[in-house]
Amino acid sequence: MTVTPAVIEEEAPTKKGLSFKFPPEETEMGIIAGIIGAVIVIFTGLPAVIKGVGLILVLLWGMDSVRKTSKYGLGTGVPSIGVLSTGYGVVGALMGLAVAEYGRVGQLYPAVLLGVIVMGVIGLVSGVISNSEKFIAMKIPRLERGMMELGMAGTLAILLECSIVTGSLNFNAVVNQVMNTGIIALMFIFNCFAMLHPYNACLGPDERRERTRMCAVEISGLICILLGFAQLALGTSPYGPLDAVSMIVFGAIVFAVFFWKFIKACMDEAYETVGTGMIKTIE
Amino acid sequence: MEPVILLIVGYVVIGGLLACVAAHLLPVGGAPAAMGTATGIATGTVQIMLGAAMTGLFTAASVDTYTDSLLLVTLSGAVGATVMICVVMFMANIIYGFGAGVVPVSGRVDVDPITKEPQAPYKTPQCDGHGVPIVVFVSGSLGGFIGGFGGALMYYTLLNYAHFSAGTAAIGAISIFVANAILAAYNIRGTIEGFHDPKFKRLPYALVASFAVSLLCGIVVSLTAVLGGTL
Repeated sequence: MTVTPAVIEEEAPTKKGLSFKFPPEETEMGIIAGIIGAVIVIFTGLPAVIKGVGLILVLLWGMDSVRKTSKYGLGTGVPSIGVLSTGYGVVGALMGLAVAEYGRVGQLYPAVLLGVIVMGVIGLVSGVISNSEKFIAMKIPRLERGMMELGMAGTLAILLECSIVTGSLNFNAVVNQVMNTGIIALMFIFNCFAMLHPYNACLGPDERRERTRMCAVEISGLICILLGFAQLALGTSPYGPLDAVSMIVFGAIVFAVFFWKFIKACMDEAYETVGTGMIKTIE
Repeated sequence: MEPVILLIVGYVVIGGLLACVAAHLLPVGGAPAAMGTATGIATGTVQIMLGAAMTGLFTAASVDTYTDSLLLVTLSGAVGATVMICVVMFMANIIYGFGAGVVPVSGRVDVDPITKEPQAPYKTPQCDGHGVPIVVFVSGSLGGFIGGFGGALMYYTLLNYAHFSAGTAAIGAISIFVANAILAAYNIRGTIEGFHDPKFKRLPYALVASFAVSLLCGIVVSLTAVLGGTL
């Protein structure tokens, strides 16, 4: 069976209609998500929807780092990288929450960022050790940077989620309302899903970054719905139940829009590959 | 510096090193095992280790409500993890044997080091073993025991020395455990059968990495306890 030229001509317009190119590059994405996420973490008095936007950006950054790290075939599976990110995130968030009270101004908690920085350092150390010839010798380009970003994105995501559920970053409040109620277990596994599932589901020779990112945003929308319900049940928001309800509506809209976009993109691109005959190979 | 901080850091490091050793002992089959073409359980290192260690944490946490003994809590965690991993390996064997129709056979050695049974004649050509043979089963049970012990040790340390709440201690222990299991998984790269596998000789490299990361995590956790006001 030969490829007809008509198929190739059709390719360009369908791709253009469904691309999702907010920050186009990985480095820009990291800088933008890191700065916006850090600012939103510090200002704990913001409404939940704005924190939800920050959460989506940070999880997108985490997904990008997972994609960057596991693109070379680690032999350990993509899921383990997402789990690593969340594991580092929990340790870093505990550290950040413990120092949060120091240097606090009203509802501002600038000290929590210490946890993010410490986790970046631990991620960098583990990346250097994994890549070094003397130790594990993974020999993966830019693994150090990937592991560092994984630790930072995971910590920011867990801190943002704690901030959404409790409305503050007080250590005792978080322990009582997030850890002891068991919401942390849900956060742990859903954070893992948002970071590992998009690349794990989309990987292959035809993987496209924009399409994978749609899947990540869609799962982040689901997390927003869950966190909204948790906030509603605990009744911790300074703005009353309206804050939680707006969070649930926001999450539902994000989920619906990006689920539709993702399915549409998948169907269009699955149609494109018909008749190509050969599977593309990675260089 | 208070001696209890040293104790916390020390126990976290020991727990991390045990997690790393345990990950090397488990029968990790990965994707090839899902098609019955490699020995072991059909998923990655971290998923197997996390499942076993979490069951261990449940038993350890239940026992911890009755007693203050370190040994009793850690051993109950170890037993819980061993039971979990043994059930998984046994069920995998039933599915491979009666569902896929392959014999449990090791792909890395020609003769089983424990029972001295020949392995090579039963292996399907071009495959890397099937199911969970006896030597792999023994190695996997040992891995579950050591991993559960390490996880429960970290849980006990965070709960009773750092005085975290039960939920915080559990999620902290799981997080540090996961980080160490990943470094071991990097070292294993794909599949491993157990202590008789040639890849097991690479263990010291992973131990160095695991030591460095657990030490840093131990310091972070003790700083959290001191600054958070729980210590």
